[in-house]
Amino acid sequence: MEIQLDFVSAETLARKGSAEKISFILDKIKRNIIVVLEEALEPQEEAELIEATMREIDTEEFHGIEFYRIDSRAKGLREKIAEYIAGRRHGLTIVGPTRLIEAIKREPDYISMLAKVDVPEEEKRKRGRKKKGGK
Amino acid sequence: MLSELKKSLRKLLKIFKRKKQIQLGFYGPVNAGKTTLANRISLDWLGKEVGTVSEVPHETRHVQKIENIVVTTNNGELRMNIVDMPGIATQVDYKSFKAFGMSEEEAKARAREATKGVIEAIKWLDNVDAVLVVLDSTQDPYTQVNVTIIGNLEARGIPMIIVANKIDLPEAQPESIANAFPQHVVVPISAATGENIEKLYEAIQEHLT
Repeated sequence: MEIQLDFVSAETLARKGSAEKISFILDKIKRNIIVVLEEALEPQEEAELIEATMREIDTEEFHGIEFYRIDSRAKGLREKIAEYIAGRRHGLTIVGPTRLIEAIKREPDYISMLAKVDVPEEEKRKRGRKKKGGK
Repeated sequence: MLSELKKSLRKLLKIFKRKKQIQLGFYGPVNAGKTTLANRISLDWLGKEVGTVSEVPHETRHVQKIENIVVTTNNGELRMNIVDMPGIATQVDYKSFKAFGMSEEEAKARAREATKGVIEAIKWLDNVDAVLVVLDSTQDPYTQVNVTIIGNLEARGIPMIIVANKIDLPEAQPESIANAFPQHVVVPISAATGENIEKLYEAIQEHLT
Protein backbone atom coordinates (compact mmCIF):
# COMPACT_ATOMS: atom_id res chain seq x y z
CA MET A 1 0.00 0.00 0.00
CA GLU A 2 1.30 3.42 -0.90
CA ILE A 3 1.51 6.13 1.73
CA GLN A 4 1.42 9.76 0.64
CA LEU A 5 2.83 12.53 2.79
CA ASP A 6 2.15 16.14 1.81
CA PHE A 7 4.38 18.85 3.25
CA VAL A 8 2.66 22.23 3.44
CA SER A 9 4.79 25.35 3.74
CA ALA A 10 4.25 28.08 6.33
CA GLU A 11 3.74 30.56 3.45
CA THR A 12 0.84 28.52 2.06
CA LEU A 13 -0.72 28.24 5.51
CA ALA A 14 -0.29 31.96 6.24
CA ARG A 15 -2.57 32.73 3.28
CA LYS A 16 -5.40 30.71 4.81
CA GLY A 17 -7.78 31.63 7.61
CA SER A 18 -8.42 29.07 10.37
CA ALA A 19 -11.58 27.62 8.82
CA GLU A 20 -9.98 27.35 5.39
CA LYS A 21 -6.90 25.72 6.92
CA ILE A 22 -8.98 23.11 8.77
CA SER A 23 -10.99 22.18 5.67
CA PHE A 24 -7.75 22.04 3.62
CA ILE A 25 -6.25 19.58 6.13
CA LEU A 26 -9.37 17.44 6.43
CA ASP A 27 -9.82 17.27 2.68
CA LYS A 28 -6.37 15.68 2.39
CA ILE A 29 -6.85 13.41 5.42
CA LYS A 30 -10.08 12.04 3.98
CA ARG A 31 -8.13 11.12 0.84
CA ASN A 32 -5.74 9.12 3.07
CA ILE A 33 -2.90 11.63 2.86
CA ILE A 34 -0.71 12.33 5.87
CA VAL A 35 -0.09 16.07 6.17
CA VAL A 36 2.97 17.75 7.67
CA LEU A 37 2.38 21.46 8.31
CA GLU A 38 5.30 23.83 8.63
CA GLU A 39 3.71 25.54 11.61
CA ALA A 40 2.39 24.73 15.06
CA LEU A 41 -1.40 24.95 15.03
CA GLU A 42 -2.90 27.21 17.69
CA PRO A 43 -4.77 25.36 20.48
CA GLN A 44 -8.06 26.87 19.25
CA GLU A 45 -7.31 25.60 15.74
CA GLU A 46 -6.64 22.16 17.21
CA ALA A 47 -10.04 22.25 18.94
CA GLU A 48 -11.64 23.33 15.65
CA LEU A 49 -9.84 20.48 13.89
CA ILE A 50 -11.21 17.96 16.40
CA GLU A 51 -14.70 19.45 16.10
CA ALA A 52 -14.60 19.35 12.29
CA THR A 53 -13.24 15.79 12.40
CA MET A 54 -16.13 14.67 14.61
CA ARG A 55 -18.59 16.12 12.09
CA GLU A 56 -16.91 14.23 9.25
CA ILE A 57 -16.65 10.83 10.94
CA ASP A 58 -18.80 8.20 9.33
CA THR A 59 -19.18 4.60 10.35
CA GLU A 60 -17.67 3.12 7.21
CA GLU A 61 -14.71 5.02 5.76
CA PHE A 62 -13.50 7.74 8.09
CA HIS A 63 -12.98 7.13 11.80
CA GLY A 64 -10.94 10.13 12.78
CA ILE A 65 -7.44 11.52 12.95
CA GLU A 66 -4.19 11.30 14.83
CA PHE A 67 -2.20 14.50 15.11
CA TYR A 68 0.75 15.90 16.95
CA ARG A 69 2.04 19.42 17.39
CA ILE A 70 5.77 19.93 17.74
CA ASP A 71 5.99 23.32 19.29
CA SER A 72 9.01 25.58 19.13
CA ARG A 73 6.89 28.64 19.66
CA ALA A 74 8.30 31.95 20.93
CA LYS A 75 8.16 32.25 24.69
CA GLY A 76 9.12 35.90 25.37
CA LEU A 77 6.87 38.89 24.62
CA ARG A 78 9.33 40.35 22.08
CA GLU A 79 9.51 37.03 20.22
CA LYS A 80 5.72 36.73 20.35
CA ILE A 81 5.29 40.17 18.80
CA ALA A 82 7.84 39.30 16.10
CA GLU A 83 5.97 36.05 15.34
CA TYR A 84 2.66 37.91 15.23
CA ILE A 85 4.03 40.52 12.80
CA ALA A 86 5.61 37.84 10.61
CA GLY A 87 2.34 35.84 10.78
CA ARG A 88 4.25 32.63 11.39
CA ARG A 89 4.12 30.18 14.29
CA HIS A 90 7.25 28.13 14.58
CA GLY A 91 6.97 24.39 14.87
CA LEU A 92 5.41 21.52 12.96
CA THR A 93 2.08 19.72 13.03
CA ILE A 94 1.60 16.19 11.73
CA VAL A 95 -1.98 15.11 10.94
CA GLY A 96 -3.13 11.82 9.45
CA PRO A 97 -6.13 9.53 9.24
CA THR A 98 -6.40 6.83 11.94
CA ARG A 99 -6.65 4.18 9.27
CA LEU A 100 -3.03 5.01 8.37
CA ILE A 101 -1.53 6.24 11.62
CA GLU A 102 -1.46 3.84 14.52
CA ALA A 103 0.12 6.30 16.95
CA ILE A 104 2.32 9.38 17.23
CA LYS A 105 4.40 9.29 20.38
CA ARG A 106 6.73 11.71 22.00
CA GLU A 107 10.06 10.12 22.93
CA PRO A 108 12.71 12.00 24.94
CA ASP A 109 14.72 13.03 21.86
CA TYR A 110 12.32 12.64 18.97
CA ILE A 111 8.72 12.18 17.83
CA SER A 112 7.85 8.72 16.59
CA MET A 113 5.04 8.00 14.13
CA LEU A 114 3.81 4.46 13.67
CA ALA A 115 2.03 3.96 10.35
CA LYS A 116 -0.21 1.04 9.46
CA VAL A 117 0.43 -0.65 6.18
CA ASP A 118 -2.26 -3.07 5.11
CA VAL A 119 -0.68 -5.92 3.22
CA PRO A 120 -3.00 -7.11 0.44
CA GLU A 121 -4.30 -10.68 0.85
CA GLU A 122 -2.43 -11.90 -2.25
CA GLU A 123 0.87 -10.55 -0.86
CA LYS A 124 0.15 -12.23 2.51
CA ARG A 125 -0.35 -15.57 0.74
CA LYS A 126 2.89 -15.11 -1.19
CA ARG A 127 4.78 -14.37 2.02
CA GLY A 128 3.20 -17.42 3.67
CA ARG A 129 4.36 -19.67 0.80
CA LYS A 130 7.88 -18.26 1.00
CA LYS A 131 8.02 -18.98 4.75
CA LYS A 132 6.85 -22.54 4.25
CA GLY A 133 9.39 -23.04 1.45
CA GLY A 134 12.12 -21.67 3.70
CA LYS A 135 13.11 -18.94 1.20
CA MET B 1 -1.70 38.01 20.88
CA LEU B 2 -5.49 38.22 21.11
CA SER B 3 -5.60 35.20 23.37
CA GLU B 4 -2.90 36.79 25.58
CA LEU B 5 -5.07 39.90 25.85
CA LYS B 6 -8.18 37.83 26.64
CA LYS B 7 -6.25 35.96 29.31
CA SER B 8 -5.04 39.17 31.01
CA LEU B 9 -8.54 40.65 30.88
CA ARG B 10 -10.02 37.53 32.48
CA LYS B 11 -7.42 37.68 35.28
CA LEU B 12 -8.17 41.36 35.87
CA LEU B 13 -11.93 40.74 35.97
CA LYS B 14 -11.39 37.91 38.43
CA ILE B 15 -9.83 40.32 40.94
CA PHE B 16 -12.93 42.52 40.92
CA LYS B 17 -15.53 39.84 40.46
CA ARG B 18 -14.93 36.91 42.78
CA LYS B 19 -17.76 34.48 42.16
CA LYS B 20 -19.67 32.96 45.04
CA GLN B 21 -20.62 29.93 42.97
CA ILE B 22 -18.46 28.59 40.17
CA GLN B 23 -19.38 26.62 37.08
CA LEU B 24 -16.76 23.87 37.18
CA GLY B 25 -16.23 21.83 33.99
CA PHE B 26 -14.72 18.33 34.04
CA TYR B 27 -12.60 17.83 30.95
CA GLY B 28 -10.27 15.06 29.91
CA PRO B 29 -9.74 12.20 27.52
CA VAL B 30 -12.10 9.25 27.31
CA ASN B 31 -12.14 6.84 30.31
CA ALA B 32 -10.10 9.07 32.62
CA GLY B 33 -12.71 8.90 35.39
CA LYS B 34 -14.57 12.21 35.01
CA THR B 35 -17.99 10.71 35.72
CA THR B 36 -16.62 8.62 38.59
CA LEU B 37 -15.35 11.85 40.15
CA ALA B 38 -18.64 13.70 39.46
CA ASN B 39 -20.52 10.79 41.05
CA ARG B 40 -18.19 10.77 44.07
CA ILE B 41 -18.73 14.50 44.71
CA SER B 42 -22.46 14.32 44.06
CA LEU B 43 -22.92 11.26 46.28
CA ASP B 44 -20.89 12.84 49.10
CA TRP B 45 -22.74 16.17 49.09
CA LEU B 46 -26.12 15.60 47.41
CA GLY B 47 -26.63 11.94 48.23
CA LYS B 48 -27.16 10.84 44.61
CA GLU B 49 -25.13 9.74 41.59
CA VAL B 50 -25.43 11.49 38.26
CA GLY B 51 -24.04 9.29 35.55
CA THR B 52 -23.31 5.73 34.53
CA VAL B 53 -19.72 4.57 34.74
CA SER B 54 -18.34 1.69 32.68
CA GLU B 55 -15.19 0.48 30.99
CA VAL B 56 -16.81 1.00 27.58
CA PRO B 57 -15.34 4.13 25.98
CA HIS B 58 -17.65 7.16 25.51
CA GLU B 59 -20.07 6.05 28.25
CA THR B 60 -20.79 9.76 28.86
CA ARG B 61 -22.05 11.13 25.54
CA HIS B 62 -23.97 14.14 26.78
CA VAL B 63 -23.03 16.99 29.09
CA GLN B 64 -24.31 16.29 32.61
CA LYS B 65 -24.87 19.19 34.98
CA ILE B 66 -25.05 18.88 38.76
CA GLU B 67 -26.22 22.12 40.32
CA ASN B 68 -25.89 23.80 43.70
CA ILE B 69 -23.29 21.62 45.37
CA VAL B 70 -22.10 23.07 48.66
CA VAL B 71 -18.89 21.48 49.95
CA THR B 72 -17.59 22.24 53.45
CA THR B 73 -13.81 22.25 53.81
CA ASN B 74 -11.38 23.42 56.52
CA ASN B 75 -11.32 26.78 54.72
CA GLY B 76 -15.07 27.29 54.62
CA GLU B 77 -17.82 26.66 52.08
CA LEU B 78 -17.28 25.88 48.43
CA ARG B 79 -20.31 26.41 46.17
CA MET B 80 -20.28 25.02 42.67
CA ASN B 81 -22.17 23.64 39.70
CA ILE B 82 -20.38 20.68 38.15
CA VAL B 83 -20.52 20.13 34.40
CA ASP B 84 -19.36 16.62 33.53
CA MET B 85 -18.26 16.58 29.89
CA PRO B 86 -18.02 13.71 27.42
CA GLY B 87 -14.39 12.65 26.94
CA ILE B 88 -12.42 14.41 24.23
CA ALA B 89 -11.14 12.17 21.43
CA THR B 90 -9.80 12.60 17.91
CA GLN B 91 -11.24 9.33 16.65
CA VAL B 92 -14.38 7.26 17.11
CA ASP B 93 -14.48 3.86 15.46
CA TYR B 94 -17.76 2.02 15.97
CA LYS B 95 -15.94 -1.34 15.72
CA SER B 96 -14.26 -0.69 19.07
CA PHE B 97 -17.72 -0.83 20.73
CA LYS B 98 -18.47 -4.22 19.20
CA ALA B 99 -15.67 -5.65 21.33
CA PHE B 100 -17.91 -4.92 24.33
CA GLY B 101 -20.71 -7.10 22.98
CA MET B 102 -22.75 -4.45 21.14
CA SER B 103 -24.55 -5.26 17.92
CA GLU B 104 -23.45 -3.49 14.73
CA GLU B 105 -26.41 -1.10 14.92
CA GLU B 106 -25.89 -0.34 18.62
CA ALA B 107 -22.20 0.30 18.03
CA LYS B 108 -22.88 2.65 15.12
CA ALA B 109 -25.50 4.56 17.12
CA ARG B 110 -23.08 4.92 20.03
CA ALA B 111 -20.34 6.15 17.67
CA ARG B 112 -22.66 8.81 16.25
CA GLU B 113 -23.63 9.96 19.76
CA ALA B 114 -19.98 9.96 20.83
CA THR B 115 -18.96 12.32 18.02
CA LYS B 116 -21.77 14.71 18.98
CA GLY B 117 -20.65 14.50 22.62
CA VAL B 118 -17.11 15.59 21.75
CA ILE B 119 -18.45 18.59 19.80
CA GLU B 120 -20.74 19.51 22.70
CA ALA B 121 -17.86 19.34 25.18
CA ILE B 122 -15.70 21.65 23.03
CA LYS B 123 -18.55 24.15 22.67
CA TRP B 124 -18.97 24.22 26.47
CA LEU B 125 -15.46 25.66 26.86
CA ASP B 126 -17.06 29.08 26.49
CA ASN B 127 -19.45 28.48 29.40
CA VAL B 128 -17.27 27.30 32.28
CA ASP B 129 -15.58 29.47 34.94
CA ALA B 130 -12.93 26.92 35.86
CA VAL B 131 -11.95 23.39 34.92
CA LEU B 132 -10.74 20.15 36.43
CA VAL B 133 -8.68 18.35 33.79
CA VAL B 134 -9.09 14.72 34.78
CA LEU B 135 -6.25 12.48 33.59
CA ASP B 136 -5.61 8.78 34.12
CA SER B 137 -2.34 8.36 36.08
CA THR B 138 -1.79 4.93 34.58
CA GLN B 139 -1.50 6.40 31.07
CA ASP B 140 1.16 8.46 29.27
CA PRO B 141 0.10 12.06 30.02
CA TYR B 142 1.85 13.62 27.05
CA THR B 143 -0.82 12.92 24.45
CA GLN B 144 -2.03 15.45 21.91
CA VAL B 145 -5.57 15.35 23.32
CA ASN B 146 -4.29 16.33 26.78
CA VAL B 147 -2.05 19.03 25.29
CA THR B 148 -4.95 20.40 23.23
CA ILE B 149 -7.33 20.54 26.21
CA ILE B 150 -4.79 22.27 28.45
CA GLY B 151 -3.64 24.56 25.61
CA ASN B 152 -7.23 25.68 24.98
CA LEU B 153 -7.83 26.44 28.66
CA GLU B 154 -4.57 28.41 28.82
CA ALA B 155 -5.42 30.35 25.65
CA ARG B 156 -8.87 31.24 27.01
CA GLY B 157 -7.47 32.14 30.44
CA ILE B 158 -9.67 29.58 32.20
CA PRO B 159 -8.16 28.57 35.57
CA MET B 160 -7.61 24.83 35.94
CA ILE B 161 -6.41 22.09 38.21
CA ILE B 162 -5.10 18.85 36.78
CA VAL B 163 -6.49 15.83 38.60
CA ALA B 164 -4.19 12.81 38.44
CA ASN B 165 -6.86 10.17 38.89
CA LYS B 166 -6.74 6.41 39.54
CA ILE B 167 -3.91 6.52 42.10
CA ASP B 168 -5.42 3.42 43.71
CA LEU B 169 -4.13 1.34 40.79
CA PRO B 170 -0.65 -0.20 41.24
CA GLU B 171 0.62 1.08 37.86
CA ALA B 172 -0.39 4.71 38.61
CA GLN B 173 2.35 7.32 38.14
CA PRO B 174 0.85 10.69 39.14
CA GLU B 175 4.35 12.20 39.21
CA SER B 176 4.61 11.74 35.43
CA ILE B 177 1.56 14.02 35.04
CA ALA B 178 3.18 16.63 37.30
CA ASN B 179 6.38 16.38 35.24
CA ALA B 180 4.50 16.75 31.95
CA PHE B 181 2.61 19.90 33.06
CA PRO B 182 4.83 21.58 35.66
CA GLN B 183 3.16 24.98 35.19
CA HIS B 184 -0.13 23.72 36.67
CA VAL B 185 -1.41 22.53 40.03
CA VAL B 186 -1.69 18.74 39.98
CA VAL B 187 -3.71 16.89 42.64
CA PRO B 188 -3.37 13.09 42.76
CA ILE B 189 -6.63 11.38 43.77
CA SER B 190 -8.64 8.23 43.41
CA ALA B 191 -12.22 9.06 42.46
CA ALA B 192 -13.06 5.38 42.90
CA THR B 193 -11.92 5.13 46.55
CA GLY B 194 -12.14 8.80 47.54
CA GLU B 195 -8.44 8.99 48.45
CA ASN B 196 -7.19 12.63 48.63
CA ILE B 197 -10.60 14.05 47.67
CA GLU B 198 -10.40 16.55 50.58
CA LYS B 199 -7.15 17.90 49.12
CA LEU B 200 -8.92 18.39 45.81
CA TYR B 201 -11.72 20.43 47.45
CA GLU B 202 -9.13 22.60 49.19
CA ALA B 203 -7.21 23.08 45.93
CA ILE B 204 -10.43 24.10 44.13
CA GLN B 205 -11.14 26.63 46.85
CA GLU B 206 -7.60 28.00 46.78
CA HIS B 207 -6.99 28.13 43.03
CA LEU B 208 -10.34 28.23 41.24
CA THR B 209 -12.66 30.46 43.26
